[in-house]
Amino acid sequence: MIDFQRYILDNGLKLIVHQDRTTPLVAVNILYDVGARDEHPEHTGFAHLFEHLMFEGSANIPEYDNALQMAGGENNAFTTNDITNYYLTIPKQNIETALWLESDRMLELAFSEEKLNIQKDVVSEEYRQSYLNQPYGDVWALLRSLVYKVHPYQWPTIGKSIDHVKNATLEQVKDFFYQFYRPNNAVMVLTGDIEPNLAFDLVKKWFGDIPAGAKYKRNLPAETVQNADRRLKVERDVPFDEIYMAFPTGKRLDYSFYTTDLLTDILAGGSSARLRENLVKKKKIFSEANAWITGSIDNGFLAVMGKLHKDQSIENAEKAIWEELQNLKNNPVSERELQKVKNKLEASNTFAEAGILSKAMNLAYYELLGDADLLNHQTEKYFAIDAGELQKAANDILNPYKANVLHYRANK
Amino acid sequence: MPFAERSIAPELKLIEDVNFLQPQTSFMKNGIPVFMQKGGSQEIIKFELVFKSGSCHQSKPLQAFTTANLLKSGTKNKTSEQINQLWDFYGVSLQIDAQKDIISVGFVSLTKHLKPALELLLEIITMPVFPEDEMHIFLRNRKQKYLVNKRKVQYIARMHFAELIFGPLHPYGKMLEDDDFVKVVRDDLISFHQAIFYPANAVCFIAGNYPEEIVEIINKTLDNFYWEHQKQQENIIIKPQIPTNPKHYIEKKEALQSAIRVGKLMINRDHPDYHMLSITNTLLGGYFGSRLMRNIRQEKGYTYGINSAIINLLRAAYFFIGSQVGKQVKDKALEEVYNELRRLRQNPAGEHEIIMLRNYLSGSFLRSFDGPFMQSERFKEIFLFSQDYEWFKDYLKTLKNFTSEDIQKTAEKYLHEDQMIELVVG
Repeated sequence: MIDFQRYILDNGLKLIVHQDRTTPLVAVNILYDVGARDEHPEHTGFAHLFEHLMFEGSANIPEYDNALQMAGGENNAFTTNDITNYYLTIPKQNIETALWLESDRMLELAFSEEKLNIQKDVVSEEYRQSYLNQPYGDVWALLRSLVYKVHPYQWPTIGKSIDHVKNATLEQVKDFFYQFYRPNNAVMVLTGDIEPNLAFDLVKKWFGDIPAGAKYKRNLPAETVQNADRRLKVERDVPFDEIYMAFPTGKRLDYSFYTTDLLTDILAGGSSARLRENLVKKKKIFSEANAWITGSIDNGFLAVMGKLHKDQSIENAEKAIWEELQNLKNNPVSERELQKVKNKLEASNTFAEAGILSKAMNLAYYELLGDADLLNHQTEKYFAIDAGELQKAANDILNPYKANVLHYRANK
Repeated sequence: MPFAERSIAPELKLIEDVNFLQPQTSFMKNGIPVFMQKGGSQEIIKFELVFKSGSCHQSKPLQAFTTANLLKSGTKNKTSEQINQLWDFYGVSLQIDAQKDIISVGFVSLTKHLKPALELLLEIITMPVFPEDEMHIFLRNRKQKYLVNKRKVQYIARMHFAELIFGPLHPYGKMLEDDDFVKVVRDDLISFHQAIFYPANAVCFIAGNYPEEIVEIINKTLDNFYWEHQKQQENIIIKPQIPTNPKHYIEKKEALQSAIRVGKLMINRDHPDYHMLSITNTLLGGYFGSRLMRNIRQEKGYTYGINSAIINLLRAAYFFIGSQVGKQVKDKALEEVYNELRRLRQNPAGEHEIIMLRNYLSGSFLRSFDGPFMQSERFKEIFLFSQDYEWFKDYLKTLKNFTSEDIQKTAEKYLHEDQMIELVVG
C-alpha cells in the first residue's frame, strides 16, 4: 500500500507526493502526456528527439546536467508511444535545485540551432546502434506496421525513418514544445523524505507561475476490426529464423488488460510456463520463446515469439504455437496454474514498489491513467479473474483471422 | 510563499555524512558466515549464497557457467519441471550468476514465501543431478544466443579486448569458441559442483524484511540436507601477457558503426592510488558530464554514448574507454579520445569542474547506500575484496580533499595515452 497526497495547481499541474522517511533522497518524476502517437505521420521521432533537447538549455539554465550534477543529482528520461517521462533522484537537502531545473525547462526552452543539429546526429547514432546495426533490430518496426494500419502506433518511438529526425526544424520543435510541454499536460510526483505540504508549497513556488497551455484534444484514428490474417515474410542477414505473431487487444484501462496479461503469463511467465516447457524443452523447436502484451493506452496487441533452431521449419514452428494457443482456447487452465501466475504477479508488483524512483514512476503513470491509487489495486484485479474468464479471453483474442504473422528468415 | 526567482540558482547544500549500516552477523551451523541488512518498505527478502570460485577455476570453457545454471535442472528428488513450477508458484525470482571469480546463487522473494524458497534453494545447491538432456538443451540454446551476439560489434569488441589485455591463456582473457558448447560433458558439471559448492567456500548475504529468527530457520532447513566439506579448489595465479602491438583492428564490412575500446591493465582496489584513480576516471568518462561525453557526444555528435570504467576483478583490474560510433567518424572519434587523455594530464581542471565532480560523486555515493539492498551490495563488495568500512571512509576523505594537481598526477601515472591498447571492430 503506497499512501500519497494529491494537489492540483491553478495552472493544471498535478502533483502527487509520497513520503518515505527511510531514504536520504528525493525522487522527482515528471510525466508529460505526449508520446510518439501524438506525432504527425510525416514528422515521426519528434517526441523522442525532443526528450534529448530538453537537456540542452532552458530560459535561465544553459546546461541542465551541469546544474543537477552540482547538486549531487542523477537523472534520465524515456519516451514511449504514449508518454515522455523524466526522472531524477537528488539528496533531499537539494530538492529546490531539482524543482528549479524542472520548472525552468517547463517554462521555456532556450537551445540553439547548433545544439539541435548535434542532437540530430546523436539520435541518428542511437538509431544505428539500437536498430540498424543490430541483428533483428527492425522486428519491432515491422510488427507495428503489420498490426496498425491507421493508428500512429504503427511507427516506433525512434521514428519511421531517420530522415524525419534529420529534417526537423527549430520552428517545428518549438511548436511541439508549446503544444505539449505545459503544466496542464503533466503529472509530477515526489517520493522520498519530504513532507507533503512542504512539497506542495515548494512546487507552487517553482511551478505556480508557468502559464497553462491550450488544452490538447487527442483525436487519433482508431483501427478497424481486423477480419483476415496478415502475413509478412522478410529475409535478413541474421543467423537464425524467428517467428512473431501478434493479435489485437483492448486498451490499458479495459478489464481485458488483466485477462490478456495473465494469458501471456500462462504462455511465458517464468521457466515453467507452457511455451518454455513444451516448445523449448520438450519439442526443442525454439532456443527461446516468449509472449507479452504491449499494454498501451490505446488498443494494444498480444505478441508471441520464438527463435528457431536450425533444424526447424518456420511453418512447423507456427503450427506448434497455434497448438498451444488452441489449447488455451479449448481447455480451462487448472486452479494451480492460475494461482501460480497470480502469485508471480503479486511478487513482481511488490518488487517494483521497492525503491522511491520506481514508486514515483508508477504513481505518475497511474495518475495519468486516471488515479494514482490504481497502483494499490493492481494485484487484486488479477486475483479476481477465474479460469472461465481466461478461456473466454483466449477465444476472443487468439483468433486466426486476427493474426499478424511475421516470418523473419535468415538468408542462406 | 512567493513565486521563485529563477535567475538565481537555489543554494546548494553539501552532503554531510553517509550512513553506513554495518550488517548484523551470524553463522549457520555449518560455519557459513551470514551478513544481514534489515529494512525496506516492502515485505521482500533477498537471499544470496556467494561461492568464492568462478570461471577462473574451471578446467574447460563453460564449465562454471553450465554447472551453475544447471543446478536448477533436476535434483535427487525433483525433475527440472517440478523445480521450475515451484519457483514460479511462489513467485520467487531465482538469481544465478557465474562470474570470473565468484558464483552467486540466490533469490528475491516475498517474505511470506521465505521457507519454501530457502528449502528449494538448498536442495538445488546440495543435491543436483545434472541430467544429460537438460545439459544439451541448455548448451544448444546458449550457443544460439552466442552466435547472434557474435554479429554485434560491441560484443566482439568486449571479448577481444579482454583477450588483448590479459592474453589468450589467462582465465580473464580466454575467449569462447563455437566448439566449446559441444565439449562440455556431464562429468564436468559433477566434478565442478563437488569442487566449488561446499560450505567452507560460501558466504551468505541477506537483505530486506527478514524474520528475527532467520538463522534458526536456515539451520532447521539445513537439517534436511547433507552438505559437508568437499574438495578444496586451488587458487589460480597467471600473469597477464601484455600484447606487443598496441593497435588492433577487426574489419566488419557490413557494419554501420564501429565499436571502439581503448584501455590497459590497471591497479586494483587495494592500491593506495585507487580512490584518486577512480575519481579521475569519472572526470574522464564516468558520468554524463564527463570530458569524453561532452566532447564526443554533446559537441561532436559522433556517438549515442561513450564512457570509461575500471573493471575490478578479484585477481586483476583493467581500465577501458568504450563507445560505438558512426563508421565514417571512427578515426576522428579515436583522435578525440587520445586528445582527452592528453588534456587530462596536461591541463589542470577548472574549479567549477572539480566542484561539479565532487558534488556529483558525493551524491552518487549516497545513492549507492540507499536502503538495505544497496547497503548489502556495497558490503558484499568490500567483503569479497577483504576490505572494511575504512575503505569507504578513505574514499570520502579523498573525495573531499582532492585537487586538480592530484588529477593530473594520477593521469600522468596511470592514464597516459602512450600506455593504451586500442581495438576497433567494424
